Amino acid sequence: MTNDGHELADEPAAMTFELLKAAVRDGTTVARLGRLALTGCKSVVDTPNYFGLTSRGVVPHVTPDNVSKHLQTNGAYLALEDFIERPQQYSTRSPPIYETPSALGKPLHGFTALPSSFITVLGARRLPAVPAPAGNTNHAVSIFTSTGFQVLPTKDYRNAVQVLKPDIAIPPADLTHGPTTPTSKRAVKMAERTDDWIKEWFVDDDTTPTASTFAPVLPIPYSMQWEYLERLSEDLTTDNRRLAGLALYDADIIPDLNHHLPNLLPLPRLSLAAPPTPHHILRQISLGVDLFALPFINATDLSPFVQNCTCYACTRHHRAFVHHLLSAHEMLGWTLLQLHNHAVVAAFFAGIRQTLAVSDDAFEAARAQFHAVYEPELPAGTGERPRARGYHFKSGAGEGKRNKPGWGKLGEEEEAAAVAGKAKGDGAAVDGVDGVDGKLQDLSLSGEEVKIEFLISGTVTGETIGVTEAAVEKDR
Amino acid sequence: MVSLLKLATITEEGVRFLSPHDGSPMLLTPEHSMSLQNSIGSDIMMQLDDVLVTTSPDIVRMREAMERSVRWLDRCIVAHKNPDRQNLFCIIQGGLDLEMRRECCREMVARDTPGIAIGGLSGGEAKDDFCRVVAACTELLPELKPRYVMGIGYPEDLVVCVALGADMFDCVWPTRTARFGNAVTKDGVLNMKREKYAKDFGPIEDGCGCPCCRPADQEGAMGITRAFVHHNAAKETVSAHLLTIHNVWYQLELMRQARKAIIADEFPAFVREFFNNLYPDRVSYPSWATTALRSVGIDLFKP
Ligand SMILES: [Zn+2]
Ligand SMILES: [Zn+2]
Repeated sequence: MTNDGHELADEPAAMTFELLKAAVRDGTTVARLGRLALTGCKSVVDTPNYFGLTSRGVVPHVTPDNVSKHLQTNGAYLALEDFIERPQQYSTRSPPIYETPSALGKPLHGFTALPSSFITVLGARRLPAVPAPAGNTNHAVSIFTSTGFQVLPTKDYRNAVQVLKPDIAIPPADLTHGPTTPTSKRAVKMAERTDDWIKEWFVDDDTTPTASTFAPVLPIPYSMQWEYLERLSEDLTTDNRRLAGLALYDADIIPDLNHHLPNLLPLPRLSLAAPPTPHHILRQISLGVDLFALPFINATDLSPFVQNCTCYACTRHHRAFVHHLLSAHEMLGWTLLQLHNHAVVAAFFAGIRQTLAVSDDAFEAARAQFHAVYEPELPAGTGERPRARGYHFKSGAGEGKRNKPGWGKLGEEEEAAAVAGKAKGDGAAVDGVDGVDGKLQDLSLSGEEVKIEFLISGTVTGETIGVTEAAVEKDR
Repeated sequence: MVSLLKLATITEEGVRFLSPHDGSPMLLTPEHSMSLQNSIGSDIMMQLDDVLVTTSPDIVRMREAMERSVRWLDRCIVAHKNPDRQNLFCIIQGGLDLEMRRECCREMVARDTPGIAIGGLSGGEAKDDFCRVVAACTELLPELKPRYVMGIGYPEDLVVCVALGADMFDCVWPTRTARFGNAVTKDGVLNMKREKYAKDFGPIEDGCGCPCCRPADQEGAMGITRAFVHHNAAKETVSAHLLTIHNVWYQLELMRQARKAIIADEFPAFVREFFNNLYPDRVSYPSWATTALRSVGIDLFKP
């Protein structure tokens, strides 16, 4: 028994996806209601729904016991690049996670102490991923670990999946991760490589991954990747349906998929397209997305808590206390905010499902109403976040410091400003807690990091739409 | 007020400093300190005291601080609005001067507060001096009042102070050191950032009963491995949370075992086992500890 009362499982659970209701409009299937079930570990996910995002195997600021006790989500996305860094002094050691003893259950769960009923989705790269200057090759993807860029051969990734036994795995995709659209020449290459890699993934040998495979769908036009997608549709959905789902890096391709490849319709669709606002979530759901991996929940803001929220943080603590914790840089503040944000997002999705169960029209009406009530772009957050770490982003030239100094001047004397720098003897501390990890101090943000720091309240049911208390922090 | 010492100006009226919140000038008087603690409603309240680092060579200033702390205690007692339900602790000062400490004890005990704190220690003084001060104070304190040594947190200090007759402690160390990636165990402090823990799939401490260390198949347990703590030490706050849970458990368990040993009349054996775990060679026991313990009849070298 684990802390959530389930047996420790040592194999990924078999997965089934049931479409309970799918509206059809203009001849195509749109927003849908479904149920993803992982047998063996008793995990059922009613869709539309979301998975949390982990950083280095943790739901940020939430210990594994609280993941079971206080989070409504029952799954999370993990990135292999978070586990396979090569520290300079120990560059020859193999990543410890590969040696997780089998007594701890499925190795990915065992290493991260996540409850075995908590669904793990493994991808090669973090969401969003830091673009690698070198790019990918025909047989490897470039990854960014806490110790720098590294090359991950696609075969090694496949082996890692088979060793770590996540419940759901996403095969490698040739992505640019950049802010600009790839040229058509590059797009063709992306499709070719991803196609080669999916063939390699499904080669029948003793390392064929047993995880449920969600094949990547590239963020390029259908016309550029139709051969790859047809392979998915024709070769991989037939005998015993080896493909378990699709991982979409851009949801706008769904109408084309519906139109051209009906074989793929029954598969659950996980959006990795990082919807920056709730509006984007609603839009993707109306296109037919079932599951999301949401980067924006990992939060820190002191926006006021929602009235009548029933989450642990709101029922046990006053807003003023959380405000105090956040301004005092107490870790508990981020924990409570995280629990709250998950509760708000879970309620948002519950409302979506409830409305979809009524009718597709009810959903579209609620979506239009939501659009009218909520700001499309959300105000900037004002709260202090934990210190950004090197593996969160990569610095660009001429950018300001990502992290503010720990303290301003406090006393009459200059040296008083050094209050935060004390306790040298203990070495570096965790994110903005006590000390400063000097190595990471100068890194600043580049790329497209967009984080909503606080989320909508209320639900999108037929009648009610809650007030907005969302705030977006957009760096740069 | 020891933590703000460098940033504060102390007068008979109170302590002046700049608000860490907005930089505005603040004055903390004994009266204001009481009113704040009354509105918070804490079960234990601490008097406002005037503290110097114990190593200060300025005898005159040290005496002034001790005497002012007694006067401030009087003002605190007058200002305290809820003596029926909130317990005010005086704080004994006097640096490392045992006579001054004794004088402060006599003055403060005469004020009859519900509890008594020994303050100003843990500021870099020699451990021998520290133990002498605690012993000098506990000798003069009444039996039926809790004795609270402020700012004490290293396990050795806790055990020795209990042996010297202290009852209560507080310290940021167990949680702060957790945030720096250190695990407190019966075998000493382990820095989980060290490479040797990267592939150590054992619990943070063998046999520990905390929610991190017990195997995941037990109720309410997480089965955290050293490898996982190492993986995120100084990287994700979750590792800090996990070590905090473990370290606080360790400290509470240590005191639980001490109480059990006292009740069973086996306290000296408990102390010997504790030090033996930390120094398995039984030779490198710190001399301050052996000296202090011998003064209360506990011989670490006894077989
Ligand atoms: Zn809440
Ligand atoms: Zn423990």
